[in-house]
Amino acid sequence: MAYEISLISILEVILTLIIALFIGVLIPGIERKYVQARIQQRIGPPVTSPGLWASVKFLFKENIRPNSPAPGLYKAMPILCFIAVLAVFLALMPENYQFMAFASLIAIVGFLKVEEIAYVLMGSLSKSVMSINLRFPDHAKGAERPGLLVSSIEDISSNRSLRMIIFGSFPLYLALFIPAALSKSIYLGDIVAYQQANGPFLFTLAGIIGTVVFFIGYMILLNEYPFSYIKAKSDVIEGPYMELASKYRTFVYLTRGFLIFTLGLMYCVLFLGVAPELFSLKFIVCIIVSLILPVIMAIVSAFSPIFTNRQLYPTILVTSAFGALAMVIALF
Amino acid sequence: MEEKKAKKQEIIETEIQMGTVHPAALEPYRVRFFVEDEIIKDAEITIGVNHRGIERIMEGLPVEKANMLTEKICGICSNSHTWNSVRTAEIGLGVELPERAVYIRVIVGELERLHSHLLYLGHGCETLAHETFSMRVFYIRETIMELLGMIGGNRVQYGCSIIGGVRPRCELDDNRIRRILDGMDLVEKNVAEFADRFVHDSIVLSRITGTGYIPQEQALKLAVTGPTLRATGVKRDLRTDMYEYDNFDYDIITQDTADVKAQLLMRVFEIFESIKIIRQAIRDLPEGKITDRSWEMVDTGLIESYIEVPRGTLYHSYAIEDGRVRHSIVRTPSMTNIGAMQYACIDNHITDGQLCIVQCDPCFTCSDRAIEVYDTKNNKLDKSILQSNIH
Repeated sequence: MAYEISLISILEVILTLIIALFIGVLIPGIERKYVQARIQQRIGPPVTSPGLWASVKFLFKENIRPNSPAPGLYKAMPILCFIAVLAVFLALMPENYQFMAFASLIAIVGFLKVEEIAYVLMGSLSKSVMSINLRFPDHAKGAERPGLLVSSIEDISSNRSLRMIIFGSFPLYLALFIPAALSKSIYLGDIVAYQQANGPFLFTLAGIIGTVVFFIGYMILLNEYPFSYIKAKSDVIEGPYMELASKYRTFVYLTRGFLIFTLGLMYCVLFLGVAPELFSLKFIVCIIVSLILPVIMAIVSAFSPIFTNRQLYPTILVTSAFGALAMVIALF
Repeated sequence: MEEKKAKKQEIIETEIQMGTVHPAALEPYRVRFFVEDEIIKDAEITIGVNHRGIERIMEGLPVEKANMLTEKICGICSNSHTWNSVRTAEIGLGVELPERAVYIRVIVGELERLHSHLLYLGHGCETLAHETFSMRVFYIRETIMELLGMIGGNRVQYGCSIIGGVRPRCELDDNRIRRILDGMDLVEKNVAEFADRFVHDSIVLSRITGTGYIPQEQALKLAVTGPTLRATGVKRDLRTDMYEYDNFDYDIITQDTADVKAQLLMRVFEIFESIKIIRQAIRDLPEGKITDRSWEMVDTGLIESYIEVPRGTLYHSYAIEDGRVRHSIVRTPSMTNIGAMQYACIDNHITDGQLCIVQCDPCFTCSDRAIEVYDTKNNKLDKSILQSNIH
């Protein structure tokens, strides 16, 4: 099969990427300023502060040496995450649909898994000062349990990330394969073409259920409240990111915004059949959807406390059951 | 009910340390959680990070100055410390207060209870990671803070008591009384709306119901005081023993479930009772002077005074010699509640650990009273060794 790569298509992808990155860094500000702050009846931060200027600011900050057995690997993880999200983004570009193996759901799931595994590695590679032992015996309660193995709070975060890989990401991946079941193809090009011929999947029963399941999976993948299990302020604080400073933290901010935008594009491609084609109305639709999803997410998180296992397991179980139901409906 | 406590010989998987600096904690303290599969089997709280030695500084100070200093013990119950310290001197010196001064003290004391309970609710919601509820509670609290600022001249250090009455700054004129009554109406309406919203939020309820359970027998055994004790079903409120509250009609709120939900609701209901007391105090506010300056300073023996403050029982004790304080001891409610905080964490998830501590309304910095020093061989150092090392 001959691949057609033109200079214009490369430029289009690069331009789309720049727009995606710019909107991505604005999304945290939109969430906090125009959604959460409005709900909480406060002014909120400037819209450019949480994403854009925070990323720029950290570029000029002094770096710290993480307390890690492999500091280089730890610091490389945010970059790896960014590359994984970039790969997902490129797979969604209509210019790349000709690369069948790359622009397929299997590849997308694989790239997202890389992003998730990075959290496990980051958590296990960091032992920040936040959970360091005091260097004197503790007599407050008679020091009943001396000499125990001391885990850092990043260890807990790492364990939780692993659990999220095992079962937490079920809803999202089930939702991703509902369009595949409806169009009988795992290739994005085929899924988009099928919807252009037969109408968006969103307007089918499986598509409606799939949208709900996708959204919950989207929140879980983004570690947003109430699913921010791996970076809960009430125990593990920032979790795997704790010791990332300077330009590495810039990558964290960039990646998060970029992932939010990319998942929005993914929804457009899979459930609306709208590929992000630059210089067309479709791209506007993609941008609008990519902004609507984080806005709804911010509303949900503003009204939810953080989930513990007691709430998390049933939520994921029920959502996955709905995902499976949608899959069955899609298949028959 | 069987006491929930990990046996010593039980193999504890690992230890998680949080603090002394942690975003879920408002103050510096360290907690060691001994966990198995993220379930806390035992907890150990260490305070002493912010020891300021206020009792030591009070020694030898003129009583009036020492009373002012007690205001700095706590940023939340600053007035209560001044009130109880002044009350201690008044008991020793046999000072009789003007009726109007007693009423003003009660009003300020109950306003302080309102802001402390609202802070508790806000902090509790924040620890639940429910930012919206937390923000709303802090908005409601703002009304109280403004009223305290109006009466005492400050939002945090507004202590009104002096020996023989209250400061002239704290006199309540018609304008102030009207503002307090308007504030009470607003706070009552807002807290009722918040409580209604709170108890109908099924997600929040699933987080707080059954979490941080402290059985009544255990609470009594650990000598828990204040709302934390009353949330376990014990009807004990020291205000019933305080002569200042003799003329007021109010209910002692108790809860039965003894979990985080009970603790949070306990504060909500107490807010309504405090509003009731403030309205009664304003309605019946006697005319007359607010300070009696006819007392004389004399030497006394050891004087003790217990009062009910927002977090529990506050104890102040000292003797007066040549108008100066001798042998000062202050025991804050959190000191007696630490045991309950540790106990409440057991059998809960780590994410709920801080919530279980917060439910007992901790104020560790106020509780930092004494330190014990050990050498590296785990031998306790006595005073002579310490003094020999002071250069």
